[in-house]
Amino acid sequence: MDIFWVVTVVTISGLVVFGLQILAIRSFTRRGREPTGTEDETEFRPPISILKPLHGLDDHLFGNLESFCLQDYPFYELLCSFKDHNDPAYRVAQTIKNKFPNRRISLIVEGYDAGLNPKVNRLHPAYQRAQYPYLLISDSNVMVPPDYLKQIIRPMKDPQTGLVTNLIRGMGARTIGSLFENLHLNSFILGNVCFLKRFLDIPCVIGKSMLLRRDDLEAIGGFRAVKDVLAEDHFIGERIRKRGQKVILSSFMVNNVNEYWGFKKFLNRHVRWGKMRWKILGYKYILELVTNPVLVSFTSWIVEGPSRRALILIASVGFIKGVGDYYVGKKIGAHIHPLGYLLSPMKDLLIGLIWFLSIANDTVVWRGKRYLIRENTVLCPCPEKGIWTWRYRLMDWVRASVAW
Amino acid sequence: MLLCDFHIHTSYSDGSVELRRTVDLFGQAGFDVIAITDHVVNGETALGKLANRFRFSIQEDNFNRYLEDVVGEGKRAWERYEMLVLPGVEITKSSLSSKQSAHVLLIDIKTFVSASWDFEKIFLEAKKQNALIIACHPHHSSELTALDTLYLWNHRKKYARYIDAWEIANRDDVFNVISLKKYPYIAGSDFHRVRHLYSWKTLLNCKKETEAVKQCIRYNRGVAITLFRNGVPS
Repeated sequence: MDIFWVVTVVTISGLVVFGLQILAIRSFTRRGREPTGTEDETEFRPPISILKPLHGLDDHLFGNLESFCLQDYPFYELLCSFKDHNDPAYRVAQTIKNKFPNRRISLIVEGYDAGLNPKVNRLHPAYQRAQYPYLLISDSNVMVPPDYLKQIIRPMKDPQTGLVTNLIRGMGARTIGSLFENLHLNSFILGNVCFLKRFLDIPCVIGKSMLLRRDDLEAIGGFRAVKDVLAEDHFIGERIRKRGQKVILSSFMVNNVNEYWGFKKFLNRHVRWGKMRWKILGYKYILELVTNPVLVSFTSWIVEGPSRRALILIASVGFIKGVGDYYVGKKIGAHIHPLGYLLSPMKDLLIGLIWFLSIANDTVVWRGKRYLIRENTVLCPCPEKGIWTWRYRLMDWVRASVAW
Repeated sequence: MLLCDFHIHTSYSDGSVELRRTVDLFGQAGFDVIAITDHVVNGETALGKLANRFRFSIQEDNFNRYLEDVVGEGKRAWERYEMLVLPGVEITKSSLSSKQSAHVLLIDIKTFVSASWDFEKIFLEAKKQNALIIACHPHHSSELTALDTLYLWNHRKKYARYIDAWEIANRDDVFNVISLKKYPYIAGSDFHRVRHLYSWKTLLNCKKETEAVKQCIRYNRGVAITLFRNGVPS
């Protein structure tokens, strides 16, 4: 059989999966923020401790923190955790604390460094000082509407619920790097998360927003149990499920504000996330490549050159992907300019190439530090001697050249 | 200490970010005081004519609108971020020779000052308006695309008495000669693009009020500079 038709069949399979992803996103957005709870459930308002690990200036940091001070919710505390006072985010959090004197906001500075996961190192001191029975882990680049706490707490009324997590929507792009990031969050990430939940009943836990009980977290070993893994959110979810509790994916969307990302940051994050999925999924990770129709359609051009039918296939797939992403963006209110979706196929192609980088080596760079990543995303200190250093230097040079 | 940046351009001249977004960018990053200082170029030179032609400069006809916008944004910035925004301009006298070029920041300016006037007239007018006068990047720059502006420094004996402070650090450069001469100093980003947010800044130990900020710079007590970084290596 002509290889072109094999590529075409795989491409169409990828498009079918893409169509199912859109259906899954639609079904989630339809549920949206409907008042699903009973009267009793809507009155369920236990106090919540919000744990905010902060490090450096994320885009829109002031607005993100401010959105947590504007919650329409009776009792909650915001615990901002820093490694040291010199962190530029500390000034921003201090300004927020001064602006909202009636809110219970604590700035915790502690150089806790027991684990290799820097986020968990910041979460642990905040967790120790948290006073309320419900813990909400929320990343610094998350901005939420005023009814967020009311919405996320609802499923916790059911004692069988162990963890609630949210869908995320990328917003606010002002640079190409941010646009790529938001397109990817709103298509690939959102699509896969919804698809896995809707059709396979596999809830993905998204660390940007996850709520759980303090007792449950303690029962699974607290943050110490995940201090050396990259995908701490995934493993917290796994352990909660193993205890026989439900992990709920809330249809309520939170905003991930990415305004001024450079291209290097986009590449670095998705190489890291790719490696994370590779180490968690193993050979199932190959499916991700096959379900990237843009990349697969491109292989037709590679195998038989710029033939008419190859170009028609690539153009058709690119068009369908762009239109599909535009439709999803409209559905979720992503506020991306329609012309931005012209870059959607290019982003998919790049993500396809990142897939190969993800399996090419086992080092990750996170917040400026380099780690070795092992099975189940266990992190190890990275040796800085001998032949390793040459390997890193070479990789750094390649990354810098690509980013340039 | 107040985290300050007194050298910021917007799309009113040759900056790439609009005024409102610039204010938000600095507010979101936790700044206490900023000055918006778009270029006013000398329209009598060939370079100035070009800049005016392509609207890379504030001109007399749009100065009042510029000032109103900056003051309006200042009110918004105070309410939202508790950040003080001072209106200013960068008087831009550029020529092909770096020895003839000079740029001066006039901060807390009230009426239009033309860059085609001679320096003494500009300084006297700025003094009359109680504006802060800062000689910016008076030394060689490390950026290949930047024109050096050495005139004021080379003629400092004549002009230093008018100048409230010298820009000792600009973007990524430090001009140590200013410190050797013990002149009053500040640091500024010369912000044109978002990435310039991470550059040299001024720290002031004074109240967050316009007059207090100006006095602090003039007397140059409680002034420090810092290289402001994101905190996260990219």
